[in-house]
Amino acid sequence: QIHRITGTIISAEDSKPMPGVSIKVSGATTGTVSLTDGTYSIMAKSTDVLIFSFISYTSQQIYVGSSNSIDVKMSQSTSNLNEVVVIGYGNSKRKDLTGSISSVSATNIVEAHPTTIDQALQGRVAGVVVQQVSGQPGGDVNIQIRGIGGFTNAPPLYVIDGVQIPPNVQSPIPGEGSNPLSTINPSDIASIDILKDASATAIYGSQASNGVVIITTKKGVMGPPLISYDGYAGEQSLSKYYDVMNLQQYATFMNEKAAIIGYDLRPQFANPQYLGTGTDWQKALYRTAPEENHNISISGGDARTKYFLSGTYFSQEGIALGSDFKRTTLKVNIDNKTTNWLKIGTNLAFAHVAENVATTNTGVILQALNQTPDVEVKNPDGTWGGNDPNIYGAYGANPFALASIVTDFKSRYQLIGNAYAEIQFTKDLTLRNEVSGNFDFATEDYFDPTYTMGAYTNTTNTGTSTSAQNFYNSITNYLTYSHFFNKSKLWFSATAGHEAQKVNGSTVSATRTNFVSNNVTTISSGDPTTALNSGIKSDGALEAYFGRANLTFDDKYTLTGTIRRDGTSKIDVTNRWNTSYSGAFAWKLNNEAFLKDVKAIDDLKLRLSYGLVNNQNIAEYAYGSTLTTVATGLSGNSQLTSTLGNPDIKWETTKEYNLGLDASVLNNRITFTGDVYYRKTDNLLLSLTEPYYSGTYAAGGYSPGAILAPYVNIGSVSNKGIEFSIATTNIKSKDFNWRTNLIYSQNKNTVLALSPGTPAIYGTYTKTIVGRSIGEFYGYQTLGLYKDAADFAKYPAVWQNGSGPIPITPGSGGVWVGDVIYKDNNKDGKIDANDETFLGSPLPKFQYGINNTFNYKNFDLTVFMTGEYGNKVFNQIGVNGSDPNQNFGYFASVANYARIGLINPSGSASDINNVYITNPSTKITRISQSSGDQNTIFSDRYIEDGSFLKCKSIALGYNFSQSVLSKLHLRSLRIYANVTNVFTITKYTGYDPEIGSWNPLAAGIDNGYYAQPRVISIGANISLNN
Amino acid sequence: ITTSNFYKSTSDLRLATAAIYAQPWFDWNNFPLLGIGDIMAGNMLQPYNSGLVQFTTFSITSDNTYLTQAWQGFYIIVAHCNVNIKAINTQLPDSVSAAGKNGALGELRFLRATAYYHLAMLWGAVPIIEDNDKLIANPLVPRNKLTDVYRFIINDLRFAAANLPKSDQAGRVTTWSAQGMLAKVYLTRAGLGQSGTRNQTDLDSAAYFAGNVCNTSGLALLPSYYNLFRTQYNDNSESLFAFQWAPGVGYGQGNDIQAQFAPSSSIVPGAGWGGAIGPTIDLANLYTKQDSIRRKATFMLTGDYYPELNAAGGGYTATGCNVKKHIVGTPADNNSPTMDRWSSIEHNTVLRLADVYLIYAEALMGNNSSTVNGQALQYFNAVRTRAGVDPVTILTPDILMKERRIELAFEGQYWFDLVRLSYYNPQAAIASINGQTREQFTYNPGTGVSTIVPSNLIITPATAATFTLPIPANDQTADPKLLQAPVAYY
Repeated sequence: QIHRITGTIISAEDSKPMPGVSIKVSGATTGTVSLTDGTYSIMAKSTDVLIFSFISYTSQQIYVGSSNSIDVKMSQSTSNLNEVVVIGYGNSKRKDLTGSISSVSATNIVEAHPTTIDQALQGRVAGVVVQQVSGQPGGDVNIQIRGIGGFTNAPPLYVIDGVQIPPNVQSPIPGEGSNPLSTINPSDIASIDILKDASATAIYGSQASNGVVIITTKKGVMGPPLISYDGYAGEQSLSKYYDVMNLQQYATFMNEKAAIIGYDLRPQFANPQYLGTGTDWQKALYRTAPEENHNISISGGDARTKYFLSGTYFSQEGIALGSDFKRTTLKVNIDNKTTNWLKIGTNLAFAHVAENVATTNTGVILQALNQTPDVEVKNPDGTWGGNDPNIYGAYGANPFALASIVTDFKSRYQLIGNAYAEIQFTKDLTLRNEVSGNFDFATEDYFDPTYTMGAYTNTTNTGTSTSAQNFYNSITNYLTYSHFFNKSKLWFSATAGHEAQKVNGSTVSATRTNFVSNNVTTISSGDPTTALNSGIKSDGALEAYFGRANLTFDDKYTLTGTIRRDGTSKIDVTNRWNTSYSGAFAWKLNNEAFLKDVKAIDDLKLRLSYGLVNNQNIAEYAYGSTLTTVATGLSGNSQLTSTLGNPDIKWETTKEYNLGLDASVLNNRITFTGDVYYRKTDNLLLSLTEPYYSGTYAAGGYSPGAILAPYVNIGSVSNKGIEFSIATTNIKSKDFNWRTNLIYSQNKNTVLALSPGTPAIYGTYTKTIVGRSIGEFYGYQTLGLYKDAADFAKYPAVWQNGSGPIPITPGSGGVWVGDVIYKDNNKDGKIDANDETFLGSPLPKFQYGINNTFNYKNFDLTVFMTGEYGNKVFNQIGVNGSDPNQNFGYFASVANYARIGLINPSGSASDINNVYITNPSTKITRISQSSGDQNTIFSDRYIEDGSFLKCKSIALGYNFSQSVLSKLHLRSLRIYANVTNVFTITKYTGYDPEIGSWNPLAAGIDNGYYAQPRVISIGANISLNN
Repeated sequence: ITTSNFYKSTSDLRLATAAIYAQPWFDWNNFPLLGIGDIMAGNMLQPYNSGLVQFTTFSITSDNTYLTQAWQGFYIIVAHCNVNIKAINTQLPDSVSAAGKNGALGELRFLRATAYYHLAMLWGAVPIIEDNDKLIANPLVPRNKLTDVYRFIINDLRFAAANLPKSDQAGRVTTWSAQGMLAKVYLTRAGLGQSGTRNQTDLDSAAYFAGNVCNTSGLALLPSYYNLFRTQYNDNSESLFAFQWAPGVGYGQGNDIQAQFAPSSSIVPGAGWGGAIGPTIDLANLYTKQDSIRRKATFMLTGDYYPELNAAGGGYTATGCNVKKHIVGTPADNNSPTMDRWSSIEHNTVLRLADVYLIYAEALMGNNSSTVNGQALQYFNAVRTRAGVDPVTILTPDILMKERRIELAFEGQYWFDLVRLSYYNPQAAIASINGQTREQFTYNPGTGVSTIVPSNLIITPATAATFTLPIPANDQTADPKLLQAPVAYY
């Protein structure tokens, strides 16, 4: 018996009517939405169940019964238990999960105004370390999920609306700090789910050993059109500068230096007091830079068709000259319930990114710290300033000029698309077919003009044009069956499917020199006889069969089993196919009889999982040898062996154990998710470092003409850790609400085994051995400076290669007071390579994030902090800046160099017993152009504590009340002010201790890092009335 | 392109072998070739570059950059040859003719032997690597006995001599290249382990193969010595093996000797860092007035005018005593627009006919203290008369050694001649070195007077140990077996 049900929907918080709430009869295709006054009307049977839902509110299911009128109070969801989590080839409710999956909501993603989506994850997800590799707009971000799973870069797999972006995928033209995910618009993201343990990741098999990040973009919801505008504009600036010498200080210092070393006295520095402050190159290079973001979206739909359409323009100028980033995106998605048994839909995202990356390419950040203050940015005659050719020493570039005149412009067009059809055979059985594509086109135009910057000149201009494309296609089909067996209280669901992927890439590049003019930079304007060109083509394929089964008994015990079999073109035929699998068990304690009556506990679940996943994220064709084309004078082109294969290589495999606890207590006021895990990766691949007589070099090295060493399964590594997140509603009242989210991750990385014959793996500044973590700094320890003769009696000096200690003399090649004392670790009376030791790890001991949200009436305030503890940073900039004996710019602290005094003023200056350091507390070495002591060799002098606590963002917003809105004919209006990178508490002396790196064997090295800017912005979120 | 799908035809093989004539030799070519071959030999000096100074002062440390580079460079050649030889032997379809297959193997084995010849001469006993794949499982290998290294070299060269064609595309090695190299290796091995005299059988073999090249190859000296070192005469009839450098290939891929050794950036755009490098007075004093062609082609004296260098800028007038050989000028001078500082198109020779002529004369003289052998004098004097110097009527070992030093100066040969001598007469080799004046000089074109410029370098006197270089520190550390006694290979 169908009859009409009517009612009013109001908000539980403020009792105001709620328009736009979706009302649906359970199991039916029809539905309606509430009107502006909150009323609705729908036809239903008395046996039906009505489902009321609204974004970010808890859905309600109400049995119709005999009533004709049902009023509903909707409350904002404080619990995330009913939240839908994307689990890969399907969805699940958080309360039903057996694996470890963390989610980040749309609100949190955009809170810190990220340029790229990966930045948004920092400090938000337990177990995930996010570090910016470059602060350049749209710059690279390094993400590690549960520690480093290998000796090479091990990023997660990204899945964007079903389109897989394999780990290590590059934009078609990689390099210069660019981020492959830069085309994805953060404001289009609805949620990000991070799959962490093997139970969650095994469904992605061979690509998932370092975790999976599933990104779901916004979709239309049933209801009248929702037209929204979100926008902000801000100003960015560098928040910290190195303290460098100004011109007066520099001139004074150079005069003193000239007096000591006996040359390089510059007449123009005769009277430093009359000189100005000179050029501050940091101030010259860095600027206050604008950024802005505008996003318009329209969404809506009826019971049959839902749509979402959005367009965004984002523009960010870099704080350092020579960098900027612009992104334009257009996104469309449509879901249509064509018939009762068929659903179809498509999801398309177009993006264009235009980037200027000249800052990074020209290395001007480092050069701004190298250039001296006596050089003008521009000479009075309008020419570029530069070093005087007549001075002693090296000549540096004019960083301002270089960043201004060198062009390095990248443009990238990307289309990520997905179309699906879902056929419902029966109530329980569904088949989903998906085709996905990622079409990525990019160009890069580079032009290095001719110039004169004093003694620093470039007489030949060079232009390079590069064009590249990457295509990814996949076809995925899977069946899902689910059934509730009433009698046995057993809920069963299973998924089984097949997936095929294909990737192709190609790059063409052309270079010419001798362009007629620096202003005509089209490649065809270069001298045609100087034309050089190159090209690369690549392709690969992956095929997989996968399945997952879920069994839940009495809503208490859940078992999940997952299996996937992958075949990849990267591995030789004999080892090509492999299997990933996992099993998990969850126990909902709160549904047990003994806890059922404990009202304080809303939810309590124990999770246990084990699984094995594989890694195909390895060099292409590592099992065979390859050849490349090289030019010879003999035949023009020739084929030279470029890599040596190892036919015996095996897959990297990761076994992972996970124990987790989810709890929600006090009416969901406190929710907790915690996990402990142990993850062991075996058969780790690394290109082997062999002795030189092998004629090979290891990946990442450089040796012209040599062959890339074969990859071998060299070792195994473990990561074990604890991670948890706590969400609390501290205060909940009519006018004031305060919620806190805390996440904490702690991971310990240990190398368990290295293959025989490889006792250690060396990076430039690191050494990796069994029993320690990957990539620990390795070098000398220091004990300050030699202050007087007594120190020489106590501490041995550095030994010359193969002969005795260097002589104690102020003359050439000697060690003297004011030189560095190195620690004789093995106490053999000499300082040599045997005294080197481990100096700390660039990996943080733990990492945390705290997000506080306050609501007072119409105001909202969010304060988000994130931090790392225990990581070490090698301040390579400090090595140069604080060395009085190099010939570039100096830190101001260098003025306090070790000064040598005479005990007996009439005695000899070259008698060690007659000299001492007059400022013994200094850390700066003496001035000497010929010290034999290797003061600048890699030592703990430059290793700094990189622990930090960053206030990542503070946002203050105001929501206009309904009375104002109705006058403005708006549905909602929020205005806000936002500050990101507000402050950083750290002992680190460089720009920023957050130094990300792609290479675990060379992490934590600050060598001209592009710092993250502080951004102050204002913005508005507006929704229009229909 | 992969090893398993590339080797399908003779032309594929030609592409694979061509690659090993150029780029992989970079490590040896850029500094060590002259640093070891001429600076260590006392022909040349660079008093400021600490790595090169060690070669002058005989205080070479095991971490010397150029020492390491040379070692690494030769083993890179070995690796490329090994990989190709293995692929040809296992992957090649039957459709490729035996001549095509063996010709390619001949080239590869010639190249490999040349690399091992340099390794043996410089380091003595070294590891013989024949299959680089075996290093994957077993990366640490011992050194092999020097006699076995020579046997390995001779095996490769005899195969090459038997399978390489009599003539080929200009620049490719032929049977004459292999036979010339064989003559040199036999002449060298003749002194190995000998005292005072040399092994007559090896001397006979040297004379046999050198004689073949001299008498039956049909090859002739290029009429002009000066033109030998101009790129217009690359791969001329006198060239038996030369690096096949290409222009425009970028750093690390091409011939950068010119950039590193040229005295002025007016000759090499953007480079010319060799202002501090020049001949020693010891070398300069060897040239008679009559020997000006070879002198001017080898090094510049202040005031020398070279019209062909930077011709568009009116030529180059030397402002000091600097290197000339390998200095070929601007891209325009060489009609090679893409040539840049990293990629001179000079195809510098490793083995040329004049060298084989002198080897022939030396082998014929054998253990005699002098000779008037007609063939020996004929070929020896061919070299001299081509250079415009009077012929000799009698040959002695000293005359021959001096001729080799002058004729092949700045071609990286003289150190190897000294090592060859040290095998059977170390005292003579030591005395020769310790008698040198290893100093640069200034030249006054007005008076023609040369004045020594003291470098104040302290030179450790040469001893018998001077003729064996230390194994690079990296490999000593990586492979302790290298410090143990060498083991037999065969």
